[in-house]
Amino acid sequence: MDFHYIITLTVPLLQGTVVTLAIFAITLVISVPLGFLVTLGLNSKNGLIKGFCETYVYILRGTPLLLQILFVYFGLPLIPWIGKYLTFSRFASACIAFVLNYSAYFGEIFRGGLLAIDPGQYEAAKVLGLTRYETMTRVIIPQMIRVCLPSVANETITLLKDTALVTVIGVTEMLHYAKTEVNRDGTPFPFVIAAVLYLIINFFLTWIFKYLEKRYEQ
Amino acid sequence: MNNNQNNHVIHVTNLSKHFGDNEVLKKINFDVDRGDVIAIIGSSGSGKSTLLRCLIDLEQADGGTIMIKDRKLVDEGVQAPQKEKTAIIADMGMVFQHFNLFPNLTVRENLELTPKLRHVGTDEEIEARMEYYLDKVGMSHRADAKPSTLSGGEKQRVAIARALMMQPEILLFDEPTSALDPELTGEVLKVMEQLASEHMTMVVVTHEMGFARQAASKVLFMNDGIILEEGTPDDIFNHPKEERTKAFLSSIDR
Ligand SMILES: Nc1ncnc2c1ncn2[C@@H]1O[C@H](COP(=O)(O)OP(=O)(O)OP(=O)(O)O)[C@@H](O)[C@H]1O
Ligand SMILES: [Mg+2]
Repeated sequence: MDFHYIITLTVPLLQGTVVTLAIFAITLVISVPLGFLVTLGLNSKNGLIKGFCETYVYILRGTPLLLQILFVYFGLPLIPWIGKYLTFSRFASACIAFVLNYSAYFGEIFRGGLLAIDPGQYEAAKVLGLTRYETMTRVIIPQMIRVCLPSVANETITLLKDTALVTVIGVTEMLHYAKTEVNRDGTPFPFVIAAVLYLIINFFLTWIFKYLEKRYEQ
Repeated sequence: MNNNQNNHVIHVTNLSKHFGDNEVLKKINFDVDRGDVIAIIGSSGSGKSTLLRCLIDLEQADGGTIMIKDRKLVDEGVQAPQKEKTAIIADMGMVFQHFNLFPNLTVRENLELTPKLRHVGTDEEIEARMEYYLDKVGMSHRADAKPSTLSGGEKQRVAIARALMMQPEILLFDEPTSALDPELTGEVLKVMEQLASEHMTMVVVTHEMGFARQAASKVLFMNDGIILEEGTPDDIFNHPKEERTKAFLSSIDR
């Protein structure tokens, strides 16, 4: 096996890596803020909002992500009447399923972080004259981030690996190309390359989260 | 009577508070004048913290009237609108048993947070004010420290400085030394005595009888949701009238 062959195997995988990273990044950027909204909803005094968010979290965490991906891509278009408005490309379907799923997980993680905060912090903020918004942004959320970072790091690494699931709806991400090459050439080597690429990305993710944990240290 | 009322910075009449069926404050009356140092003593569960917390809207009284300076925080059991309450409690600062410093911020940032958000001066003015109050509590050298690196006594001194930053007219303390190791209470009490000598108006819930004796202008003994006895430190400590007061004083280490 020569160097040139390795390159020819790797180039398509790198192309797939771009798609993998795109799904990963889009999911993260949307589901973190959305997860925070879910947390606010779970803590809402409005029973309707609270109930809606609880049901949402229950369903999305209680069913397989794979099923959710299949449902968004194959299932939604089949719904009578509105199905034709819910027809998305493979890539978009993948992103929608991931955003919905990860928002539920992040919502739960942030809820736990909020619970970990000493009620005395709200009291101190109140007697110092901070508004509710200032209390959240200056006092509560920074402390919540610190509490949640380890779980968010875990979840993020899981997300990266979960992106491989979207091959089932034919999204051409990294693993899709690896599989194709394995079938074509009858060698397991593309799987090894794919594994190395996942590990490299994870190396950077771990490094970023280490940095964040340091920054939010108290 | 009405005339007299104007001299009080805190004027409480018939204050009552329930938690469910539990009547924790039973028609409490008391006044605080400018420059008073009020020590509130009494056994655990007698309602001391609840009384203090009602004054600064951390608990909501369900009966009676609370006047802070010339404004009513609660009027015959009716709470003032939230905006009004926010303005009223801005005249007060509070120091907690467990400090409640913001652990995500440095000492400096803890002090400067509200003044900067409220634009009470230029950044230089706020900085100068921060240095002044940190110096007052002897913590200037730790301005850039995170609270987690401070001892309990240091945390409480920073918390006092933070409470002073918005220059409140009244400071409330809820057992400021109870969470501290015994050898660290002195440094906090010294700061409080200093404030008292500068005629800061203070209401202090405390188990430190030494402080109450020395620094208080008036001592209130609370028992089971009422102020059972009040007077000068000499009245309360040397000539208590009520049996419960005597029993309480002899039960604690003096
Ligand atoms: N948030 C609350 N909910 C229900 N009951 C409460 C609450 N806070 C206080 N209580 C009850 O009110 C009573 C008075 O409590 P409070 O904390 O005012 O007493 P205290 O005099 O400050 O006691 P300590 O010396 O132990 O601090 C107690 O019976 C307590 O159990
Ligand atoms: Mg108490």
